[in-house]
Amino acid sequence: MDFTLPQYDPFRMLPEIFMLLWALWVFTYDLITKRQKEAAVGYMALIGPAVPLLFIVFYLTGLLPESWRYGGSGFGAMFFNDTTAMFFKIVFLGAAIMAIGSSFGITKQKIVNHRGEFYGLLLFSTLGMMFLASSNELLTLYIGLELTTIPLFVLAAFFKDDKLSVEAGVKYFVIGAFSSALLLYGMSFLYGLSGTTGLVQMKMNMAVVFLSYRDIGVILLGGIVLLVAGVGFKLALPPFHQWAPDVYEGSPTPIAAFLSVGSKAAGLVAFGKIFVNGLMAFFGPEQAPNDWGMLVGLLAILAMVIGNVVAIRQTNIKRMLAYSSIAQAGYIMIGMVVLNEHGMASVAYYIFAYMFANMGAFAAVAIFEDQTGSCQIEDYKGLAKTSPVFAVSLSLFLLSLVGIPPLAGFLAKYKVFAAAISMATVDPSASWLYWLVGVGVLTAVFSLFYYANVMRLMFFSNEEPRHKITYSVPALCVLLLGLAGIVVFGIYAEPILKLVRTIPADFGLYIP
Amino acid sequence: MEKEILTLVTFFPLVGVVLLTILPRDRHDSIKGFALIISFVTFLFSTWLYYMFDPLGNGMQMEVNIPWITSLGISYHMGVDGISLLLIMLTTILTFLSILASWNSIKTGVKGYYISMLLLETGMIGVFCALDLFMFYVFWEVMLVPMYFIIGLWGGPRKIYAAIKFVLFTMFGSLLMLVGIIYILFEYQKYSGVFSFDMLKIIGELPLSYQAQLWLFGAFALAFAIKVPLFPFHTWLPDAHVQAPTAGSVILAGVLLKMGTYGFIRICLPLFPDATITYLPYICILSLIAIIYGALVAMVQRDVKSLVAFSSVSHMGFVMLGMFALNTQGIQGSIIQMINHGISTGGLFLLVGMLYERRHTRLIEDFGGIARVMPAYAAFFMIITLSSIGLPFTNGFVGEFLILLGAFHKNNVYGIIGATGVVFAACYMLWMYQRVFFGKVTNDENKKLLDLSWREKVILVPLVLLVFWIGVYPKPLFEILKPSVNLVVEQMERAEAVRLDDDYRVEEKLTTVEVGNNELSFDTEEQSDE
Amino acid sequence: MAEPGIVFWILAVVTVASAVMVVTLKNIFHCALALILCLFSVAGIYILLNAEFLAAAQVLIYVGAVAILMIFAIMLTSNLASKAIRQSNEQVMVGTVVSVLFCGGMLALIYLTDKAIVSEETGVAFWRQVRGTLPADNVASLGGYLMTKFMLPFEVVSVLLLAAMIGAIVLARKEKA
Repeated sequence: MDFTLPQYDPFRMLPEIFMLLWALWVFTYDLITKRQKEAAVGYMALIGPAVPLLFIVFYLTGLLPESWRYGGSGFGAMFFNDTTAMFFKIVFLGAAIMAIGSSFGITKQKIVNHRGEFYGLLLFSTLGMMFLASSNELLTLYIGLELTTIPLFVLAAFFKDDKLSVEAGVKYFVIGAFSSALLLYGMSFLYGLSGTTGLVQMKMNMAVVFLSYRDIGVILLGGIVLLVAGVGFKLALPPFHQWAPDVYEGSPTPIAAFLSVGSKAAGLVAFGKIFVNGLMAFFGPEQAPNDWGMLVGLLAILAMVIGNVVAIRQTNIKRMLAYSSIAQAGYIMIGMVVLNEHGMASVAYYIFAYMFANMGAFAAVAIFEDQTGSCQIEDYKGLAKTSPVFAVSLSLFLLSLVGIPPLAGFLAKYKVFAAAISMATVDPSASWLYWLVGVGVLTAVFSLFYYANVMRLMFFSNEEPRHKITYSVPALCVLLLGLAGIVVFGIYAEPILKLVRTIPADFGLYIP
Repeated sequence: MEKEILTLVTFFPLVGVVLLTILPRDRHDSIKGFALIISFVTFLFSTWLYYMFDPLGNGMQMEVNIPWITSLGISYHMGVDGISLLLIMLTTILTFLSILASWNSIKTGVKGYYISMLLLETGMIGVFCALDLFMFYVFWEVMLVPMYFIIGLWGGPRKIYAAIKFVLFTMFGSLLMLVGIIYILFEYQKYSGVFSFDMLKIIGELPLSYQAQLWLFGAFALAFAIKVPLFPFHTWLPDAHVQAPTAGSVILAGVLLKMGTYGFIRICLPLFPDATITYLPYICILSLIAIIYGALVAMVQRDVKSLVAFSSVSHMGFVMLGMFALNTQGIQGSIIQMINHGISTGGLFLLVGMLYERRHTRLIEDFGGIARVMPAYAAFFMIITLSSIGLPFTNGFVGEFLILLGAFHKNNVYGIIGATGVVFAACYMLWMYQRVFFGKVTNDENKKLLDLSWREKVILVPLVLLVFWIGVYPKPLFEILKPSVNLVVEQMERAEAVRLDDDYRVEEKLTTVEVGNNELSFDTEEQSDE
Repeated sequence: MAEPGIVFWILAVVTVASAVMVVTLKNIFHCALALILCLFSVAGIYILLNAEFLAAAQVLIYVGAVAILMIFAIMLTSNLASKAIRQSNEQVMVGTVVSVLFCGGMLALIYLTDKAIVSEETGVAFWRQVRGTLPADNVASLGGYLMTKFMLPFEVVSVLLLAAMIGAIVLARKEKA
């Protein structure tokens, strides 16, 4: 037995350590101020993700001193900072900042006793996502995913007096536990086949096993189905999506936003790490089982169709956004099944653009809900007359979700479609990707229908608006941050594109 | 300056957008004034562009090519040739005139309206300048949003239906085009090893297989055909035109429809020459159907505006017919006709709008004898009507004549059927004119109508001048168009020659086979004889 | 690997039967008792697989703590133990079909790994290939790994537990008006 501690470097975990300590400080701060400070707790919580975000951004832009080597292994194979990890950490932290920023309204009115816990759990969940992004190994990955979801169960049910919120919490808890079990079961298949939990080692071991057992793909397929189902629940990919609308509707709006962006991005990372990286040995037509691509492609088609079609009928804007995010997951999965140097890069850019647009849209919904208590699309009638800034920004977020240039959402859709076509033009066995793109295009037109419906009500309604929106400073900042994101990264996308270009290399999709 | 002029023309309206955003909402007069000034200055810039343009120069002029998103091969590549120059001129004139025309008719949401108009102008000019497929797509989509709001916010009673229908139709087509663009990108990358959306490079270098051309032509042509609109994709047009506010209809008919035909001539023809020749008969037949169908439906309309809208379908059929004649006369005529249609249909929509502002109805039966009450109005209307019909010495004649000439060159049947369209046009336009303007004033309300104000005359005079200028002395236009049109025609002739060559070869093969068979049978006969 | 003996089959039958009882019995108290039985026999299977630590943990945590806690909760809640409950809804058929399919799939996989999937060189079935030997002291090496190679996830689990604890307190706490 070799019981030596792996090479470790706590410095590489600095953002995580900071987040952990800061989350504890937020709990404590709320207690020592006797739960009297309303906004101060929120501002305190904002520092939690902001400092690590700046740290990572500074590192990536080269503003940190040369000697601060943040990238690389932090704890053997358990913790590794590559571009993927850092990029997705930026997405998680950005989503957390925007979620906290749009929570000031509910912590003022509804959550009066547990503000510290609310923010602290949000930070814990973000921490789990960060561990997940850095993991290169099934065990850390699983624990990261659990640390992501368990605080979210609680956060979804945070309005204890509200039946819908409690229902959301319970539903999310049951589904989450079930999907975790499926995931774990699937992982045990991978472990059984390869004898290791490290993803890179797993890849190699499986290739060796495959040499003497040519038919092993059948077993792998069993594991793949379980894993797809497990992650599919987290990503709300049909047919595992039914929980999403109920949970989004019931849970506090910023939490719904965080679920739809942060938790989804976490699921994507997990999916990418397990499938794109871990099962990479089996890619290639002559090397047999690459069946997960087709399977996931099918789910993506289902997601785009179901998400976009059902969203049209929704009357509650949170449910509509839930179905829209189901559809968006479908578009993202198009990029995921493309196993070349464009695939994961497009996924990363998509989630980045989606983060700004979706968090922004939810932030707008949260602002509206805080002031009117309503989430009905009907109530948005005529808002353009009284609150033009609100109406214009919500419209821009929705337009970015549709993918209208020059907003970032357009470039994102472009990237995933381009990735799929890039593979289909080269590899004749991948020509089914054209169908994926075709469905994507068609359903994108459908999506315009329900997004435009909200805009129609806000701008075109002749009725006198019932509400006028006033903004609190943090909420306005979140709106502006989202707007800046979709506009700036739509027009000046070069730095982000340069960054995501190296991501497929982290998944072993090509050698730089 | 030569480098920056295109950027200036394209993005100057955005300066106005920023300016208007800052202005307070209730300062209507200054908002209108600023919008007008900005659009006028844009027009001046475009005339400057016109003077700087060298009619003898080949290829693109005033080119700018700056890398934008290098990792995707997207660059800020703009340039104009004769075709785009004329369309840019048309855009700037019509935008200026329609902003002037909206002076009194838009009373609510003034600020948003003028912001949308200027945004739209940037999008339209951008489409005509872009030489990078990605930029082309971006501008193409960008104008969708302001147009959606212009129809949906300031339109008629069924405006929302019309706006959503317009957007859904266009979006569907353009997304297919996006898929096509991406496909071309990767084909080009396979061919040359670098990513590039550069239209000129792709057209000049990329060899596309016939099969690929067929699919890509389909994707692009659908996007453009919806915009033109070619029969049977025209159903959004009557709704959008009728429901849009006057200025919206003017821009829609005058410029937006041209983007479809411009797309055909800029992208479809040069990039997919072989597919063009394959699809040619179908497109010609669809254009002929559009010509006849549009005219017949226009004849039975009770609303003047929808009559003009359906006449648009018919006229755009002419444009498509001329373009797909694929000879110099046809293409030249089709481009001239694009400009003419912008002037005459734009003018008609403006005129109808003026009448609507006075009477709040557009039904033909509500009018009669208007010529007595509003003589100046009737005169202007007459001139524009005649231009729309294509009377000699008006602009319409030049275009339609050339188109028919080209069509006859291509195929006599096309020419004959097309020519009946002109007859029909005379029927429905003159009949409408007669019912509205002649006879007795039957409706008392019409007796009180005021004739044109000076502002309205200012709007109409430039259009009338253009009608006569192009009708009598179109030479400058031809000179500007010549190099670009020749280029297209040469490309198409080359493709056709190759195609004929192939056909010839196939025939040759068939004959040899036949000869072989004969010989064989001859042999067997001989053998049987033995 | 040895063939499963009679002990395994007894444990397997008990596990499945008690698990079925957990989800079908009408009295919630009986369900909890059946759950204990089920967990116990799973622990027995762990022992058969030479996983003593897992078996001990199973008995201590699941039987000793979780199940007992459940029983306490049931007993302390008034009238819960005497009520008859319905454990299925109208979707029971769908659930049955999915479960049967899933079960069939798993059985097929077990059959395949044990019989059908055979190495081309050695002719040994996938399940039956020998992959190293078990360490002499299972528990000690497990502990060793948790303190060295897997120390990071081990530490993160503590954060996870903290999060769960805080969450449970927040949800369960009675609010002052």
